[in-house]
Amino acid sequence: MALKKIKERSMALDIDPDDILVRYNVRLEKEITPEEAAEELYPDDPHLKPIAQAVFVGDEEGVVAGLEKAISGGMDPLKLIDDALIGGMNVVSKLYDEAVIYLPDVMLSSDAMQKGIEYCKSKATSDMKPKGTVICHVAEGDVHDIGKTIVVALLRANGYNVVDLGRDCPVEEVVEHVEKERPLMLTGTALMTTTMYAFKHINDKLKEKNLALPFVCGGGAVNQDFVSKLEFGVYGEEAPQAPRMAASILSGANVGKLREEFHKH
Amino acid sequence: MVKRFTTMAYDDPDEMTFGVAKEPVKAGLGLTIGDGFTTPEINYAPRPETASSKEKLVKEYKSITTDIMDRMVAVGFPGVVLETEHVQEMTNNPEWGAAVAHAQKEIMERYHDEYGINCALRHTPGDIREDRDYLRLREDKYDTLLKSFELLAENGVDMLSVESMGGKEVFDHAILRDDVPGVLFSIGCLGAMDMEYIWKDIVKIAKDHNVVPAGDTDCAQANTAMFVAGGLLDKNLAHTLAIIARTISASRTLVAWECGATGPNKDCGYEGTILKSIGGRPIAQEGKTSTCAHSDVMGNLVMQCCDLWSNESVEYHGEFGGTSVQAWGETLAYDCTLMNVALKTGTEKTLRDLFMLSDKYRDPQGYVLAYPNAWKVGKAIVEDGDDLYLRAKNAALETCNILEEGVNEGLKLTRFETKALRDAKIALEGLPDDQDTFVSESLDKYKKEVRVFEPKRNYDL
Repeated sequence: MALKKIKERSMALDIDPDDILVRYNVRLEKEITPEEAAEELYPDDPHLKPIAQAVFVGDEEGVVAGLEKAISGGMDPLKLIDDALIGGMNVVSKLYDEAVIYLPDVMLSSDAMQKGIEYCKSKATSDMKPKGTVICHVAEGDVHDIGKTIVVALLRANGYNVVDLGRDCPVEEVVEHVEKERPLMLTGTALMTTTMYAFKHINDKLKEKNLALPFVCGGGAVNQDFVSKLEFGVYGEEAPQAPRMAASILSGANVGKLREEFHKH
Repeated sequence: MVKRFTTMAYDDPDEMTFGVAKEPVKAGLGLTIGDGFTTPEINYAPRPETASSKEKLVKEYKSITTDIMDRMVAVGFPGVVLETEHVQEMTNNPEWGAAVAHAQKEIMERYHDEYGINCALRHTPGDIREDRDYLRLREDKYDTLLKSFELLAENGVDMLSVESMGGKEVFDHAILRDDVPGVLFSIGCLGAMDMEYIWKDIVKIAKDHNVVPAGDTDCAQANTAMFVAGGLLDKNLAHTLAIIARTISASRTLVAWECGATGPNKDCGYEGTILKSIGGRPIAQEGKTSTCAHSDVMGNLVMQCCDLWSNESVEYHGEFGGTSVQAWGETLAYDCTLMNVALKTGTEKTLRDLFMLSDKYRDPQGYVLAYPNAWKVGKAIVEDGDDLYLRAKNAALETCNILEEGVNEGLKLTRFETKALRDAKIALEGLPDDQDTFVSESLDKYKKEVRVFEPKRNYDL
């Protein structure tokens, strides 16, 4: 009987927790440290590796210093974006997906990568070609943007060009940007049930203008039932799905395929 | 006038239980909160399409209120609190919120007169003080917010609350980067300063209209940390950092009471037990019965010292057992009945400890909020109660100490949580000993790092 386990300790009753709950995160934690896991994934090139390492630890100054050295040694700035910066971020993304590192590590690495990309662009003589463009916004009337911030960071970490329209973004502004940028995917987040109806207005206007594209909707108030009723709607339950969805679209997935892959309920 | 807490209301954590506060609060129609009884506080959201007009909203809230009162009477519950958290339209148009309050209170008065059921109405206007990109804590939207409080107090609301969000612009940046000094600055300094600004005015309005200035919650920050941290297997934020944000928030949320608010604080303030240990005023809490709104890793534990027991929020719609507010309201009321039986039979401390032990070791957040540890955090806060920065820093450092000791008592942490805790403690120990230096250094840092941070405009810094 559980009560028999209770004993007096300090002033309050206490119990052996192993009898009533399981800390699955402790039970399943991987043995390998993040640093050990990353070491196996860095590029071998001696010019690229320190930059990738600096991206991994979120060292902005280290990233720029490494890039300076590589560029002065004759390396192409745009190639450094792909091989060193995105290469470093690939390590970050892989280890985040494998639950070896956590979101704040990704945010710091993403900040460092962005700093490096800006530096490389300032030194380049031609434009870089991202994997594709994604437009992200927070629903009109809604100012809760931490979820969108995470989505943007994860997409950039995976090499996508993100047009971040910020929070409380009017429906018309979203549609105008889709028309102008022709992105491969649009994302919208909403915390409040009253604001998620903006997604329906966006969906209807995109339809009117024949601007068909996957429109990934997520956030605290949003649910799969609501999003499934939108012609272009794909329900995004968790932020890390965003780059996976973009990758699926690049591989040819349409709205129907994305729903098959990502709708869980 | 702001009167800081420099002593504890409870000399011994074992004195603290649910349903009993040192300073009970009379509210509404026959209720005294924290006077030897727990009461359900039912919270709800209108269906989204009803927010399109005042008339639709009033009709919706009339249905919600009638449904709740009907069910409370049908099953024989002696008291209830209704909390209306505004949809933005109701605060942006203060007369909308007032019309809803008036309609709700008329219904509650009818049930009180007819059946003698004790009841009170709490309204929580939305903190609308922002525009698309920036916080606008002290400009025209502030006037609209105060107008909302004024009209609510004139139209039958018994308790006034808000979930103020000062500091959120810096917090959102800091929490995603494991930046504990940034969390301390945003919640412990900026949040507290903003609370002092807003709560002096709310208390004045409440006193002018003879209603209760109840309290606040750090929903915008500590709850964001808790939500981002998620369940055991989520990998977004170490739960050891989420609880540091939470205990810092106790120092901040206390400011409402220091400005003259009397409790009960807001339900989603999981910092409530710490507040009660310091201030001795009643608290509202939510836990297992708020799973309609969010998951929870300490669903039983937070009942340990509650005076009002809430469901956070549920959208109004039909369920098999009635409408959603009836189903969740009845569940809350039965929980309260159990606690009240314990109070009447002298077994409340046993039940309190069963609630607490259910979740004490489930997660580091519950471990620190277990009432003996929550009391220790309270004590650390009042040791420097006159200094907003030092007391928030004390709360954070005491949290680190409690968790370190907890590992020897049976609390299991992942290596990730342990490392985050160690890094946080090192960062906290490296901070200056005085508020002016800390604020000055933080201003320099976050003016550079956070594009939307406007310290002069929002905090007069």
